[in-house]
Amino acid sequence: MKMLHKIAIAVLLSAALASVLARYIAPAGYEQQFRDEAQARPSIHHLLGTDDLGRDRFARVVYGMRVSLFLAPLAALLSTILAAAVGGIAGFCGGWVERVVMGATDLFLALPWLFLLITVRAVLPLNLSPVASVIITFALLGMLGWAPAARVICAGARQALQSDFVWSARARGCGGLRLIRVHLLPSLRPALAAQFFLSIPVFIIAEANLGALGLGVSEPLPSLGGLVCELQDFVMLRPEPWRLAPLVVLIVVIGAFQVLLSKQEVQA
Amino acid sequence: MFRSLLLALLRFLVLMLVAGLAGATLVRVAPGFSSDAQELTPGLSSESIQAIRQARLADSNVPQFYLHYLNGLLHGNLGTSQSLNEPVLDLLRDRLPVSLRSLALALLVAWSVGLALAVGAFRVRSRWFVAAADSSGGAFISTPAAVLALVFLMMRWPPVLAVGLLVFPKIYRYSRNLMEECLELPHIVVARAKGVGPWRLLSWHVVPIAIPQLIALVGVSISLGLGALLPVEVFCDLHGIGQLAWTAAQSRDLPLLVNLTFVVSCLTIGAIMCCDQLRRLAGREATA
Repeated sequence: MKMLHKIAIAVLLSAALASVLARYIAPAGYEQQFRDEAQARPSIHHLLGTDDLGRDRFARVVYGMRVSLFLAPLAALLSTILAAAVGGIAGFCGGWVERVVMGATDLFLALPWLFLLITVRAVLPLNLSPVASVIITFALLGMLGWAPAARVICAGARQALQSDFVWSARARGCGGLRLIRVHLLPSLRPALAAQFFLSIPVFIIAEANLGALGLGVSEPLPSLGGLVCELQDFVMLRPEPWRLAPLVVLIVVIGAFQVLLSKQEVQA
Repeated sequence: MFRSLLLALLRFLVLMLVAGLAGATLVRVAPGFSSDAQELTPGLSSESIQAIRQARLADSNVPQFYLHYLNGLLHGNLGTSQSLNEPVLDLLRDRLPVSLRSLALALLVAWSVGLALAVGAFRVRSRWFVAAADSSGGAFISTPAAVLALVFLMMRWPPVLAVGLLVFPKIYRYSRNLMEECLELPHIVVARAKGVGPWRLLSWHVVPIAIPQLIALVGVSISLGLGALLPVEVFCDLHGIGQLAWTAAQSRDLPLLVNLTFVVSCLTIGAIMCCDQLRRLAGREATA
């Protein structure tokens, strides 16, 4: 199992490194067109061939990985901050505040959020720039994905409030913000970190689903989800299997996350 | 018992009202609410564009829009779809049974596979079996629903199976962890020490403890299944509410989207609450 963990870490590090160095690794920009070489087969110049518009597939996969791998953690950070605020307030206040806040959390948990996502994503302006679309897509993911983490944080906060060190701090007159900052937050840090890491693959997959449905990141900016959308032309997959590259990258990256996070998920 | 059912029903109604309001507000405050795809139709006169904008402005006040919506709901009127030009109620009547049938079959597959693997892991206790079950679960969790739907479409396999395979890893993982936890309980440790066989251990000692929590998981699996059903319906051309939601999203059909969100919320929250009640009942039975 340790070997599997090492492989997963190596995969994620390589993917992150490739994303950071996309400019140097990719033979061309993600939007650069080679008009004379549209739908070209893999060659030394174009490792994965070119797409219908003559854009280098390898470059688009590397840049797409950058979008998904860097924005999913930002969305996860946003959802973790929201979860910490909502769950922390509910846990700290207790009583009717906790009941109301956890009722709202239950509501969010019960909703199949792909329905909610496509609803909100569908009412975005039509003339949205690609950069704005990518930011809004991941911001939406972050804002809608806080509920499961909020439950865990609320339970953690309640547990921490009952612990000896908090009782002792309270007895010494520590209260309010200082109690939260000095005692509660450090004890909730492991739970928050686990929720942060667990959210990353969930958001990458959600973006992939949105992208495949044509409601993700706008062209010409590539994302793994947007690139997976091209697989709809599945008649071409058998003669041109290199078209599957974005899907293989996506599955390998998510699989690596799953291997690393399986224990944390069980604990969460 | 009666009081708790009444309270659950009341809670359901309040949650539904809040869900409806939240859906309406979310759509209203989302950037781009005031822009309409219909405005881009070539050949529209400036008067027609103005009329479309006026119709949209009428819905811009959230409380007014919501009250109007609730009033219609009480009279069985869910409005008319802007894109399909049909009453939303008729669309739901056509599409909902298709989705519910698919969901029921998918959950049957998911629960059968998930529980079979969990029981197998408990019974066999082989490292290889657990590794194989874990990896198959991990593979399906790592695959976006849309991609699996495409694979099933390509292979001409039943799409419902794809939904089942997307949901089963959660059921497998949860039930396996639950069984593992049960094994550490003192009375089960004693039973094992006395030489009670694995099947007897499972049926007499583990299942009664695990059942209430598994019932709660049924509610969650309905929500998961509905989420996975959407892309599968879109790609495999199943005429259910998932495909309808996607069509509505593509054509920015607000009345249809709000109603669909509301119906899906009703379904999932209702199912989760029912399961919660059953879980409490089963828990009481188990302790008795």
